[in-house]
Amino acid sequence: MVCAAAIAAAFFSGCRGGNGPAREVTAYVSADRPFSEPIMQEYQRRSGVRVSVVYDTEETKSTGLANRLLAEMQRPQADVFWSNEPVRTLVLQTRQALAPYQSPAAQGIADVFRDPEGYWTGFSARYRVIVYNTARVQAAEAPQSIFDLADPRWKGQVAIADPRFGSTSFHVAALYAELGDERADDYFRKLRANDVKIVDGNSVVRDMVARGDALVGLTDTDDVNVAIEAKQPVAMVVPDRGGIGVPVMPNMVSLIAGAPHPDEGKRLIDYLLSPEVERALAESDAVQIPLRPGVAGPQNIPPISSFKPMTLNYAKAAARVDDVTKRLAAILGL
Amino acid sequence: MWGLRSSRTVVLLAAAAAFVIVCVLPLVDMLAAIVRPSTGAAALRTALLDSRQLSLLSTTMIVGLGTATLATLIGAPLGFVLARITLPYKAALRIALAAPAVLPPYVVALALIAAAGDVAFTAGGAIVVLTVVFYPLTMLATEAGVRRVDPRLEDAGLLVATPACVLRRITWPLVLPTVTSAALVIFVLAISEFSVPGLLRVRVFTTEVFTAFAALYDFGLATVLSLPLLIVSVGVAACAAIVLGDRLVTARRSVGGAPGDAFDAWRPAAAVAAGVVIVAMLIVPVTVLVGEAARSTSISALIWNSRRAVVNSLALAMVGATAATLLAACLGYARARATATAGSALDALWVVLFAVPSTVVGIGLIGIWNRTGVFGVLYGTPAMLVLAYLARLVPVCALAIGATIRTVPESHEEAAATAGAGWMRTMTQIVLPQVRSGLLAAWVVAFILAFGEVGTSILVAPPGESTLPIRVYTLIANAPPGDAAALAVVQTVVILCPLALLGIASTHRRPA
Repeated sequence: MVCAAAIAAAFFSGCRGGNGPAREVTAYVSADRPFSEPIMQEYQRRSGVRVSVVYDTEETKSTGLANRLLAEMQRPQADVFWSNEPVRTLVLQTRQALAPYQSPAAQGIADVFRDPEGYWTGFSARYRVIVYNTARVQAAEAPQSIFDLADPRWKGQVAIADPRFGSTSFHVAALYAELGDERADDYFRKLRANDVKIVDGNSVVRDMVARGDALVGLTDTDDVNVAIEAKQPVAMVVPDRGGIGVPVMPNMVSLIAGAPHPDEGKRLIDYLLSPEVERALAESDAVQIPLRPGVAGPQNIPPISSFKPMTLNYAKAAARVDDVTKRLAAILGL
Repeated sequence: MWGLRSSRTVVLLAAAAAFVIVCVLPLVDMLAAIVRPSTGAAALRTALLDSRQLSLLSTTMIVGLGTATLATLIGAPLGFVLARITLPYKAALRIALAAPAVLPPYVVALALIAAAGDVAFTAGGAIVVLTVVFYPLTMLATEAGVRRVDPRLEDAGLLVATPACVLRRITWPLVLPTVTSAALVIFVLAISEFSVPGLLRVRVFTTEVFTAFAALYDFGLATVLSLPLLIVSVGVAACAAIVLGDRLVTARRSVGGAPGDAFDAWRPAAAVAAGVVIVAMLIVPVTVLVGEAARSTSISALIWNSRRAVVNSLALAMVGATAATLLAACLGYARARATATAGSALDALWVVLFAVPSTVVGIGLIGIWNRTGVFGVLYGTPAMLVLAYLARLVPVCALAIGATIRTVPESHEEAAATAGAGWMRTMTQIVLPQVRSGLLAAWVVAFILAFGEVGTSILVAPPGESTLPIRVYTLIANAPPGDAAALAVVQTVVILCPLALLGIASTHRRPA
């Protein structure tokens, strides 16, 4: 059986071709593939370095890359981890799976989006936003704050993704860090009393609202934009711009501890942190918001400089994730 | 009969060693995570004694037993129809009836949500989706089992009894071990499936395991939470063993024993039933899928960009299914010729290994193969995908093939040995030819399951390589509308083509 596996290995190694570039880098990417794959392909084309990528997405509820990186810690295979939200990167930092690297390309990105020790650097961000069905909710009536979602007016009409996973887990942890346990617990109890629909992912929230199965929901900017581009009847509200602030989630890129190709990994990180990549992500359907003030952002989405971010202490928010996961399992009956 | 120095000893020992390395060691590695200091004993006790365990157990049992029962009620009669009733275009009919097995369960669940709305978000919804994708396994296994029943037994019975009585008193008892094995496999498949209950928000053991991985990154806790799943599987396997006993089925098809037309009076009813199943299980979900795929604006680019993933999937699934069938044939033979107690123990072991959640297997495979030395040579290559398929599929193939080989009387081997034939010659010329339809059915099932495997593959796929299901899975989120559905259609067509060719080829070799 091992022979069969070896034959398969030899066959597919042969398929790769023996005359490829000698330089190589391996990246694990949890940013949505439709948006991240063109960027990685462009880097390979431009640099001549063979870029091997493992893609995954938290949206489909794979337990993929963070667990894979943890399982591979004894003999790391990846050089770079590109995560589309902060929680997994900070878990990996806590478990000592990351190596510090202060990229010169991070110049222009605010300190708050960079780990002081260089274990991660943020770039292009998304916001947590309220999505609403434009066919059934007038713009003037749409909720402007996440606290409006607990209003009985929206009873049975609110959808959120399971708060134990993905970007929603970051959002609720940030809420607990910002509000304190008592107020946050109270808010989620009210949401449950309001018959909030807890669904499988942020894209499901968007789809439910687009179909009218829910009138409003909490999701991410890129999810809503996909529906808007598809001419579905949805629009977004950037919530709490004048209140507790808007939750901002940057992508994070990190060098892996013990990476097999650390120098190539650093070069890839430099590229991912470049203004060019921020511009490309802003212009793509991902509509990600550049962290650099000088890079033009996507149309119809306000720049970070135009409002107060909710919490920008990512380590503080991420440190609450385990605890908050368990609290919410009880409060929301997950 | 066969001495310790015979080729049988060498082959079976080699198979056992390969089985332990590929299938058992990853689970042992994960079980070791339980006793690591990072996993507190108190936390594990809390996890297992959590009051929710009872509710998880009941929902898991409902989903498992419901799916196994419904799939058997649909699949077993269809298998009988395909084996014994003359119908026009039977090759095409078989392919159409088997086709739902290649639909990605996640996509069928999406189709059910689109069709049924909130009703889909129940254990019943999960049972319906899982039945759609799993009933063909019962059907194929039953057809293979019925074809092994000597038609002369039925012909003799028809001299004094009605066809219904012959079916109930002769055919059904002879094929019961095969049907029960298939039902057990489907039960285990259903309770170890994550994507469907996860999407339909049905809380079962696998969703808890997933939470331990995805929300807490706790390998030890995830493995502990898998234990109830394994215990349930062993319990159900034990019940099946008690019900069946160590029944040996001695009927077999002899040369020239083609099925007659004893049951052809049921032809109209059989045709209607097959038509209804095809509409409900294939046409409806595929129509929903194609309707969704039609929204894609870049189908040709999608297919072009997925060509490498298609080749990878086909080649790796073929290699994996072939290797799994070969290894399982050796293990199944050992099980068939073991004592009753040892045989039951082996069946239980296979059921347990098959029930291990795919993510646990994937992390275990990384622990075993990602190291320096001989083991590490394969890590980071596509060979890991073959090993993943073997780890997942050898137990189920061994279970099925073991049940099949038990239908070959040991006296055949004794006669061959008396005549001076060696074990290898006896196997290749006497034993395996008698079970070739069972081997083919096992290969087809392994190929289908390998081709669609995601949970373990996604953890061990080498960087830069992908299979088609992984590509579909990673494109579901935020791809333009229809793209993921379009790729799912491509995936369905790609896997159906070789199966269709195989079905046509095998039909030409036997009477319809």
